[in-house]
Amino acid sequence: MRGTVSLSKTAGTRGDYTVVAARHPWRWVAAAAVTAVVVLFLVSAMTNPRFGWDKVALYFRDTTIVNGIGITLLLTVVCMAAGVALGVVLAVMQLSVNPVVKASAGMYVTVFRGTPVLVQLLFWFNLSALYPEITFGIPGISLDANQLITPLAAAILGLGLNEAAYMSEIVRAGIQSIDQGQGEAAGALGMSRLQTLFRVILPQAMRVIIPPTGNEFIGMLKMTSLVSVIAVPELLYSAQIIYSKNLQVVPLLIVASIWYIIFTTVFSVGQGYVERRFSRGTSRSVPPSAAERLRHFFRVHSPQASGRGSHS
Amino acid sequence: MTTETAEREPLVRAEGVRKSFGNNEVLKGIDLEIRRGEVVCIIGASGSGKSTFLRCVNHLEKIDGGLLRVEDRVVGYRLKGHKLHEQSYNEICADRADIGMVFQHFNLFPHMTVLENLMEAPLRVLKQRKDEVRRRALGLLDKVGLAEKAQAYPRHLSGGQQQRVAIARALCMEPKLMLFDEPTSALDPELVGEVLRVMKDLARTGMTMIVVTHEMGFARDVADRVVFMHDGRILEEGPAEAVINHPQHERTRAFLSAVL
Repeated sequence: MRGTVSLSKTAGTRGDYTVVAARHPWRWVAAAAVTAVVVLFLVSAMTNPRFGWDKVALYFRDTTIVNGIGITLLLTVVCMAAGVALGVVLAVMQLSVNPVVKASAGMYVTVFRGTPVLVQLLFWFNLSALYPEITFGIPGISLDANQLITPLAAAILGLGLNEAAYMSEIVRAGIQSIDQGQGEAAGALGMSRLQTLFRVILPQAMRVIIPPTGNEFIGMLKMTSLVSVIAVPELLYSAQIIYSKNLQVVPLLIVASIWYIIFTTVFSVGQGYVERRFSRGTSRSVPPSAAERLRHFFRVHSPQASGRGSHS
Repeated sequence: MTTETAEREPLVRAEGVRKSFGNNEVLKGIDLEIRRGEVVCIIGASGSGKSTFLRCVNHLEKIDGGLLRVEDRVVGYRLKGHKLHEQSYNEICADRADIGMVFQHFNLFPHMTVLENLMEAPLRVLKQRKDEVRRRALGLLDKVGLAEKAQAYPRHLSGGQQQRVAIARALCMEPKLMLFDEPTSALDPELVGEVLRVMKDLARTGMTMIVVTHEMGFARDVADRVVFMHDGRILEEGPAEAVINHPQHERTRAFLSAVL
């Protein structure tokens, strides 16, 4: 109220006043508290020789580790691709009007989401104990399960089939998020069910499907570490190979962790850009990209900017 | 069949059409014939079943009783001797290709440009040649006054413009029958006129049209016949002028005095 009164008294335009930016004291308090904790931890990490930083540096780019990274990335991409492809099929099956197709897809999801992926991996790995010879029930075909299901094959089967169950739920939610009128309009134009799905529904559902799929991708990168139990030499198992010989357990776990963080960070940034691309034009305010946020921070906090305040 | 008898033959013929949603019977036996080139407006209060009946004509709703014929086809069934075989979804779709439908909420495809919206079904359903479809689509956009919006996306258009695109999209399939489901009910009042003008022009070309609407002015000026529905039944039908200006039935009078 007082502000209004004084404004009417002086009756100036906005140009007559100096605008003072809002202060955010609690941000600085929080920053100080966080800095204190981080410094404490860093001091402890630097002074405690058992962290073995020299060993971390030594093994960081070891050939075994680098090969392990290759297998981790390969498994992530292959299992994710299999999961997405099979997931779309399962989602469409779940939305089918054919009750048999619908129920079988539902059963698949129930089984693969209802059991731990670690257990599934062990099952695939031990498939030869269950079926020494794989015939697919077709006479004349007899494959040796031990040769066919290598640890890598078991890993791809386990992770990929498990991922498909989760992806199918994501795709199904995406399809169901599309207004019914879209399907009716396509149907009224004479488009078949498949044409409607691939030309009208799925392209629109992508906006809903992409963000959780990015999360699944990052989750998959970390989940590949599980296949160390079936002796696939991915990143974690490679670290284990080295520390089982030299007993430098902690430094090698740190090496693996740093690599995991590097790749999850890179993928997170990439995920942000993909999401922005697919939300373009549909929502009014597209969130800033990582690079834009950085630029904004330095613009606001640069010495020249002080007193002008932020313009966001 | 000579042309003359073909013209007299009704394009749409409903005989005792019934439809229920669960225990709620929304159509309680509809008998109605619509001749070629006729413009028929269906009026009535919300919940009278008028939209449901319209949706039955192109099998967006499946009827529970009676028969619905469009030309010589029975909607939703294949007639073989004295047996009616239920059609599969894709057979129903094929039959819908020459019935145009315009929805209350436009239902344009938001991820396609206006031109792509028009061209999609003629290309994929009718498998027509691209240059031919394109020429026809651009001609139709010109007719509805939106030639310059061909490359725009639906979300950048006003409601009235979107509905005009939706009409052009339906016409691009070269339908022999056009269904309008409350085409102006979702529009701001100042945008209703432009859509009605396009529909009026279309009526003048001799298109057979069934229009579910609350626009009594449009019904009076454009419709050959007005059908008043109440509680799942047709209470009154006749020339637009007669039904709207001199309703015979008490309910029709009550409805008209409420909306006029």
